[in-house]
Amino acid sequence: MARMKFYCDAERCIECNACVTACKNENEVPWGVNRRRVVTINDGVPGERSLSVACMHCSDAPCATVCPVDCFYTTDDGVVLHDKDICIGCGYCFYACPFGAPQFPEDGAFASRGKMDKCTFCAGGPEEDNSADEYQKYGSNRLAEGKLPLCAEMCSTKSLLAGDANVVADIFRKRVVKRGASVLNKGVSYQNASLRASSVGKDK
Amino acid sequence: MSNRFMSKHSQKFTCQIYFFLYLIFFLCLLSPLNVSASGPAASKINNPSNDLWISVRHNTESGKVTSQVKSVDSTVLINPQADRWTRFRMTQLINYGLFILSVVAVVIMLFYLFRGRIKLEEGLSGIMVHRFTDYERILHWMLAIVFIFLAGTGLILLFGRPLLIPVLGHEFFSVLASASKEGHNLFGPIFFVSLLLMLFRFVRRNIYAKGDLTWLLKGGGLIGKSHVTGGFFNMGEKTWYWIVILTGLAISVSGLVLVLPNFGQGRVIMELSHVVHGIAAIILVSVSFGHIYLATKGTEGTLESMKTGYVDIKWAEEHHDRWAKECHDNDRLISAEDYAKLQGRVVLDQNVSASPLMEETK
Repeated sequence: MARMKFYCDAERCIECNACVTACKNENEVPWGVNRRRVVTINDGVPGERSLSVACMHCSDAPCATVCPVDCFYTTDDGVVLHDKDICIGCGYCFYACPFGAPQFPEDGAFASRGKMDKCTFCAGGPEEDNSADEYQKYGSNRLAEGKLPLCAEMCSTKSLLAGDANVVADIFRKRVVKRGASVLNKGVSYQNASLRASSVGKDK
Repeated sequence: MSNRFMSKHSQKFTCQIYFFLYLIFFLCLLSPLNVSASGPAASKINNPSNDLWISVRHNTESGKVTSQVKSVDSTVLINPQADRWTRFRMTQLINYGLFILSVVAVVIMLFYLFRGRIKLEEGLSGIMVHRFTDYERILHWMLAIVFIFLAGTGLILLFGRPLLIPVLGHEFFSVLASASKEGHNLFGPIFFVSLLLMLFRFVRRNIYAKGDLTWLLKGGGLIGKSHVTGGFFNMGEKTWYWIVILTGLAISVSGLVLVLPNFGQGRVIMELSHVVHGIAAIILVSVSFGHIYLATKGTEGTLESMKTGYVDIKWAEEHHDRWAKECHDNDRLISAEDYAKLQGRVVLDQNVSASPLMEETK
């Protein structure tokens, strides 16, 4: 049993938005809904960082806590999923989620909310694995096929990592160690990084 | 001997001083100010990278934040208010809301058990006086019916998960909650319109006037048996009116913010609106229990005014003495026979005389 997690490495993300496109294509998400988005901080200035964000599949998910119809469940792999047959589109999960993961397709007059849609970690929904019904409601179920989410699988800089939290953390730990060494060695790979911070300040 | 005593005494005294010093020291440790006071500013490591992520955590980034996904709040990486809203709804609104509503219901039940129905001292006289026009009654019932529907559907959505899902199961409750949500959204704007009409129609008669304070000091007649003074509306009714108007407006405006997401309002605005909506709704629903009780079962003769538009003059004299006096002065009393005619209850008595008339008209 794994504990599935995403990790986006802000030192590697180049804001290509391929993860956003891949997700949209793989899951045929409704118009106006983006399960994943790339956000760029300090856009256009040195020290710019980009992050790809979707559902974080929280261990203690606030969306599941506030849902008035209790439609969320966590799979054995630690993926937070919801049942669209139960969902009433009230929007409370959207208020409760700090990351803005829950999305609502427009349904009817005055932009009223349809059933919530969010990242499923490419794990479908409560329907039978890879059934047409499941695909139509939740998109593909790559996990059932033994594959990881497409956004992370096709990330060109391997910035976005998805998989068992232990493995992801291990990869990231190795990266940090290498980066730390390169910075100590007066590497130039990243300005304003934590260990070089004070010297950068002095240069100015 | 005395010296020894003194030293013992001074020892005790120093002990006390140390105790107080320790106490002050511990209080300083506990103080939230201590966090900033004790951390020496000079030794703080300047770390722009850390600062960047701290600002992201609190949504206070100073630089330009962009995203190719152009939707409301798409550039907000972390909304720190989300957790506060979650805690408000789950630990305060649901728990305290249920507590307040239950307490109000129990208090009303106890009041009924101990005080019983407040009857008219002199009984009904049969002589009536006009109180509400058709328009006012239709307006009242429109607002009342829409309010009861909205209160019911709102309470289903608020308390359904802890109270109804264990009984009804997820599937059936989902259908009920979905219908409640759609109905709540649909009838909400109608409540707003009725409320505005109510505001304009009744505002003049509900401005507090002389004598209202006396009513309050006498506990509105709920305590004791003495009669309290009142105009067309007494102080309690006026207060109920203003609670309806003020909480109703708060509920309507916040509800419109929640129901129409197409004006580009962000999540924080919606979370605040939900807080206002929830608190105001709990207040309005709990006070409405009192209004509904007093107007139906609680006092004799009150419901008549909203059923027929007429009230018994004895009722007016006991509950609204100043208005009753006005009615007497302006000679607005209607005798029992005239009232029966007005209500169309004449047909039985005058069947014979009525039929030739009908033939005549043919």
